[in-house]
Amino acid sequence: MIAMALASPSFLTADTFFSQSRYVAFYVLVAMSQAVCLAVGDLNLTVGAIGSIITVALGLAISPEFAGLSPWVAVPIVFALGPLTGWLNGLIITRFKIDAFIVTLSMMFVYMGLRSGISGGNSYRIPEGFWWLGQGNIGGWLPYMALIVIAVLWWISYLYRNTVLGRRLLATGSNSEAARLSGINTKRMIVVAHVLSGGFSALAAIMWASWSGNAAPQTGDDWLIISFAVAIIGGTGLSGSLISPLGILVGAVIFKLIQHALVILKINDNYSNTLLGGLILLAIVVDRAREHFGKDGK
Amino acid sequence: MLELRNITKTFPGVRALDSVSMRFRAGEIHGLIGENGAGKSTAIKVVTGIHQPDTGEIWYDGKRVVLENYRDSLAKGIGIVHQELHVIPDASVAENIMIDKLIANRWGIIDWESVYREARRYMEIVGLEVSPETMASGLSAAQKQQIQIAKALSADVRVLLLDEPTSSLTEHEAKRLFVVLNELRQKGVALIFVSHKLEEVFEICDRVTVLRDGLFVGEREVEGLTQAELISMMIGRTCNDEHLGVLNPDFSEVALEARKIVRAGKAKGASFKLHRGEVLGFYGLVGSGRTELARILIGEDRMDSGEVLVRGERVSIESVEECLYRHRIGYVTENRKEEGLFLENPILSNVALPVWPRIRNAVTRRIDEVLERSTANRYAEAMSVKTPSLDQVVGALSGGNQQKVSIGKWLAADCDILIIDEPTVGVDVGAKEQIHTLIWKLAAEQGKSIIVISSDLPEIVRMANRILVFREQEIVGEVKDIDTEAKSYEQVSEAIGKYLV
Repeated sequence: MIAMALASPSFLTADTFFSQSRYVAFYVLVAMSQAVCLAVGDLNLTVGAIGSIITVALGLAISPEFAGLSPWVAVPIVFALGPLTGWLNGLIITRFKIDAFIVTLSMMFVYMGLRSGISGGNSYRIPEGFWWLGQGNIGGWLPYMALIVIAVLWWISYLYRNTVLGRRLLATGSNSEAARLSGINTKRMIVVAHVLSGGFSALAAIMWASWSGNAAPQTGDDWLIISFAVAIIGGTGLSGSLISPLGILVGAVIFKLIQHALVILKINDNYSNTLLGGLILLAIVVDRAREHFGKDGK
Repeated sequence: MLELRNITKTFPGVRALDSVSMRFRAGEIHGLIGENGAGKSTAIKVVTGIHQPDTGEIWYDGKRVVLENYRDSLAKGIGIVHQELHVIPDASVAENIMIDKLIANRWGIIDWESVYREARRYMEIVGLEVSPETMASGLSAAQKQQIQIAKALSADVRVLLLDEPTSSLTEHEAKRLFVVLNELRQKGVALIFVSHKLEEVFEICDRVTVLRDGLFVGEREVEGLTQAELISMMIGRTCNDEHLGVLNPDFSEVALEARKIVRAGKAKGASFKLHRGEVLGFYGLVGSGRTELARILIGEDRMDSGEVLVRGERVSIESVEECLYRHRIGYVTENRKEEGLFLENPILSNVALPVWPRIRNAVTRRIDEVLERSTANRYAEAMSVKTPSLDQVVGALSGGNQQKVSIGKWLAADCDILIIDEPTVGVDVGAKEQIHTLIWKLAAEQGKSIIVISSDLPEIVRMANRILVFREQEIVGEVKDIDTEAKSYEQVSEAIGKYLV
């Protein structure tokens, strides 16, 4: 299927490559939002719900029909909502000692209700003055989106490989009991992971709105499955302690290729979730099998 | 009736059972004893189908059998009552007993009359005198224990293993349990009684099998056996009882002091002083409050009242993070695989983890990887961890080497107060020697202040200069000058025995 997409003449031209890179960049951010939580041994079901809240907030703030604020002022404030909501998730999980699954499941509905209530289902127009982020490029070929995501990938790699914080996040995901008894504040690590996750959701939402020129409240509805699919295909283990920026990039490219193949094969778009769900399961099974059979090798 | 023949079971790095044979007879209570790490729990797991032996045979009723899993062994009539109380609190006594065979009529509706009648039958056998409809949550530990035995009996077991059945019972409750066990013996059940408490073994068992370091030491009839003989069978190696040497603690310098620490159910007003260069033993049975006290000291558990002083200063430690980075106190847990180590990570990060904040660049926040490696290397070497490389995954190391890594971590963190909980659980004999010497040297040569928690008395006697005796969450006694007066294991054991009676 992927080979088919590659072979298709409409895919691999320099022109499409750079326009496709925006999708890849976007998928990387959505996946990163899930991966940082998976790496600390949690999961986050609010990935898309936070994205939709951010989208609606952005629309209210900069749409000329509403507040009409300058993007330079409004966007940073709206962005801050992402880490803030993530912080709230993390706080509820650690303070009340409730499972992340339950907390983020509930919060997902809380946020989704809010965005529907506030927006009434209507989209907001993004003024042309803020299209550059999603649609612009450097030197006529490298989209800003791709550039930002390259920076994000580098930063994530540095964080997890070279800093105390990143390594403590991974240690917490690897064995939370041992981490705590080794003097790591594991609760803080969980909060940090959710703050990061919220940040990536916000970034993805803002870029998507700028790119499409439109802040649609439905944004985020399909992120949950994208986030798991790309993160897991990209080698982020479900059991924590693993995160690979390069893997996630590859995962995002594969994900895009699969979507492309669906178009070429003329598969009804409505079936795509079925396919993605199956794919996630397959990736996990392969991962488990590798873990199982690879043990003696190590 | 049930026989193990030449059973061998190995785990990575440890030979848990080495060609062990045992025979259990109907109508007998058979004690299975040994120190921590002797192989008792592995033996239990082999008999109940939880572990498959590497080699060897299990014979049951004159036939060779293979026990696939616990369900299989239960179907064959071999049941177990675990140490922990596995009772569903929100279900009635009858439901707990009959959980896997609730009697239903032909419409699939539970026939409570029959369930209660059936449950009552087993309750009578174990002497549980409550209504079968009582909720399990309101019962005492002993009554819950009776539920578990009744449940095992309801599966028509002919062999019943009891793993430390009295550990959560009071003395009086234990006596009642023994009455039940006696009745089961008369009914012809083969009972296997696993216990740390020798008095109980002498009181109830007909025969004992002793294991040591995964080896079968001997099988004896209890009649005519003395406690001293049994202990020497358990401990065996007399050469190991010798003290490693005279420590030279600075009694004027108190490293760690606890004053009247109280925590409901965990500590009843514990007070002690740990001096610089001292190895202080915490001796007591599992559940006597040693580990519980340690966990309060390191901030893992809260105290209701009391004071802790570190190097003479009153402190309040809220977390292990504070304990480590502010007070330089390290805690080596007794469950190193679950709580101490990151098994899938290399030795490097396992040892260097607490050092990271010290070796990072202030501006770029980058951890200095060269320094990380040399630090880890220094402490891995200091602890004589046997490995080809620091990149070796810790999970693949032997138990002894894993333990050295977990101690090395705290040394790397520059801790000069160490609390080491069961330093040699699951460690083979050679490594055990080495770890003892290493710990002793840390105190004798580097002036570290060390608390060693252990239920292995000879181990403490070898290393410590002083022992505190724990019983029922209290410090009930102290044995001093073990090193200077070169007290033998027998002397110390006798002194401790007085406190434990």
